[in-house]
Amino acid sequence: MLDGIIRAGTDEWEIPIGYVPNMRVPGRFFLSDTLAEVLEPGAVQQLANVATLPGIVRCSLGMPDIHWGYGFPIGGVAAFTLDEGIISPGGVGFDINCGVRLFTTPLVQSDIKKPREFIESLYRAVPTGVGAKSSMKVSPAALTAMMEKGAGWAVEAGYGVPRDLTRCEEGGFMKQADIRAVSAKARTRGIPQGGTLGSGNHFLEIQVVSEIFDEAAAKAFGLVKGQVCCMIHCGSRGLGHQVCTDHLKTLEAATKKYHIALPDRQLACAPVQSPEGKAYFGAMAASANYAWANRQLIMHAARKQFERMFGIEYESMPLLYDVTHNVAKIEEHSVDGHRVTVCVHRKGATRSFGPGSHDLPHDLTGIGQPVIIPGSMGTPSYILKGTATAMERTFGSTCHGSGRVMSRSQAKKKMTGKEVADHLLSQGIIVRAPNEAAIADEAPEVYKPSSDVVQVVHDVGLSALVARLSPVGVIKG
Amino acid sequence: MSFEELPHTADVKIRASAPTLDALFGEASRALMEVMYGEDRIGGTTRSVDLEAPDLESLLCDFLSEVLFISETEGLVFLNADVHVDNQTRLHAVLDGELFDSDRHNKGTEVKGISYSGLSIWKDAKGYMLDILFDV
Repeated sequence: MLDGIIRAGTDEWEIPIGYVPNMRVPGRFFLSDTLAEVLEPGAVQQLANVATLPGIVRCSLGMPDIHWGYGFPIGGVAAFTLDEGIISPGGVGFDINCGVRLFTTPLVQSDIKKPREFIESLYRAVPTGVGAKSSMKVSPAALTAMMEKGAGWAVEAGYGVPRDLTRCEEGGFMKQADIRAVSAKARTRGIPQGGTLGSGNHFLEIQVVSEIFDEAAAKAFGLVKGQVCCMIHCGSRGLGHQVCTDHLKTLEAATKKYHIALPDRQLACAPVQSPEGKAYFGAMAASANYAWANRQLIMHAARKQFERMFGIEYESMPLLYDVTHNVAKIEEHSVDGHRVTVCVHRKGATRSFGPGSHDLPHDLTGIGQPVIIPGSMGTPSYILKGTATAMERTFGSTCHGSGRVMSRSQAKKKMTGKEVADHLLSQGIIVRAPNEAAIADEAPEVYKPSSDVVQVVHDVGLSALVARLSPVGVIKG
Repeated sequence: MSFEELPHTADVKIRASAPTLDALFGEASRALMEVMYGEDRIGGTTRSVDLEAPDLESLLCDFLSEVLFISETEGLVFLNADVHVDNQTRLHAVLDGELFDSDRHNKGTEVKGISYSGLSIWKDAKGYMLDILFDV
C-alpha cells in the first residue's frame, strides 16, 4: 500500500487527515490486497482533495474501482450538508448521468442462430462512434421535454412502455431539472444526438445469464440462468458535456466569490443553496433527464431489432433496471443516528439502496435496488442488490465497473484492435466497432477484472451478488 | 512544435511544446483533433474564434472547448489553428479544416470535455509547454 495510508479492515483503508493540507475529514476506500497493488497515487490524492471541500459529511469515499480521474477520482462518493456544503461538477464529470440499463428477453443463446447478423442489425439500428448523428428529428420542443421529463418523454412518444419508468432510478427523471440553466450551445449539441451511443467506453452488449448467486433476488428481478439480456451503457452526450463545461466557468467565479480554497481547479464549486450552485444542479438534472431519455431511445431501437429478428413480443423484454453512474442528488441519509438531507455526489459510482429504501419499485422493497455493474469488453457483468450496509456506510453507494489499469496509449501499443477482436471471437464473443482503435482502447486487459471488483463490494457488504452475465456480442462506440 | 500523449489510465493527457504561445495553442488544438479524428485531415474550410478569459489557463480551456463545440455542431474536422494570444487573456484564432467524413475520420475517440485537472502552461529555454487532460 502507498505510504501514509492506514489499513482499516480486511478490504478497507483510511487516508488520514493531513495526507494533503486542509482535509476536513478522512478519506476511506475499499480495496482487496490484490487490487491495492494497482492503486494509483493520483487517485488517492484526488480522494484526499475531496476531503478538503466545505460541508463534507463523515468522509471522502472511494469504491474498489477507484482510479485517477479529474476533480473527484473515478469511483468517488461524497455527501455534503445543504447549509454549509457545496456542489461541484468535478464530482459528477462531463458525462452527466452516464449510466447503464439492462433488459431481459425470453430467448436463450441457442435461439440466436446467426449472431453476427444480429449484431450487425443492432449496429445499424443504433448510431455509434465519433460524429454519429441520430436519424431522429428532435424538435426544440421535444428537446425541452426530454430535459424536463427524461425517460417519461420517450415513453409518451412511443419509445417504450409505462412500466419501464418504474424500473429507472428516480423513475427516469429528476424533478429539479431547470432548463433555463441549460445554454443554447448545450441545446444545439443535444438536438442531433438523441438516441446515439457515443464512443469511448460506451457500449451495447448482448449477454447471457451464466450464473445465479441469489435465487430469490434473481427471481424478483426476472432473471433466469441461460436467458439472453441486453445491456446499454451511455450518457447525456454533447448536451451534458456542454453543461459541465459552461457551469465549470460560472462555478470557478463562484469559488472565488464564496472564498472557497481548492486544491484542484476542476473541483470548482459553490454552496449547494447558492444561485450558482442551484443553477448547476438544475442544468445537471436536465442533462441527467436527457441521458435517461437517450438510453430509453436506444433500448427501444434494440427491442425493435429483437422483435424483428426473433418474432418475440416487445412486452416480453422488460427493463430490469437503469442506474446512473455520474450524478449529484439530494438524498436523506442517517448520519450518527440523525436523518439528514445531503447532496450526494457519485462520480463513477452506483446507487445501492437497501431494502425498504425510498425510490425502490414496490415489488422490490423487500429485496433492495437492482445494481448493474458492467464488465469490460469480453468480461462478465454482474447484477447485485442494494444493502443496508451501503445505506449505513457509503450513503447507499457501490462501485460502477471494473476501473482501468492501463492507459489508452499503452493499450494501443500492446495490441491491435484486430488481435483483441480475434481473441474475443475465439471465446465466442463478437465485437463490432466503428474502428479497430476503439477495440484496442477497451480491451479486457486494460481494466481490473470485474469479478475482483464486485467481490470486494460483496464482501464489504456495499451490495450483494445476484447474478453473473457473460458477453456474447458487443457494439463499442 | 509537437505534442505527445502521456500515460493516464482513464483519460487522454497531452503534453505539447512550441516556440511561441500562439503556436502552443495551435498545437493543443491539433492534439484535440487528432485524438478525436485521427491524422488524416485536410484544410479548406475556415472558422474564426474570438475569446476573452480571466487567465491563460482559462483561455486555453475555453479555446479548446470552443473548437470542440464548432467541430461537433458543424461537423467540421480541423487540420490547423492559427492563433494569436493577446495579453494572456484574449485570443483570435482561425481554424482551418474540412467536413467530417465518416470513412476517413473514424480513427479516434470522442472528447467529452477539456479538464482543468493537472492543466499547466510553462515557459522554458526552448519555448512554451503545456499539459492538459481531455475527458474521453
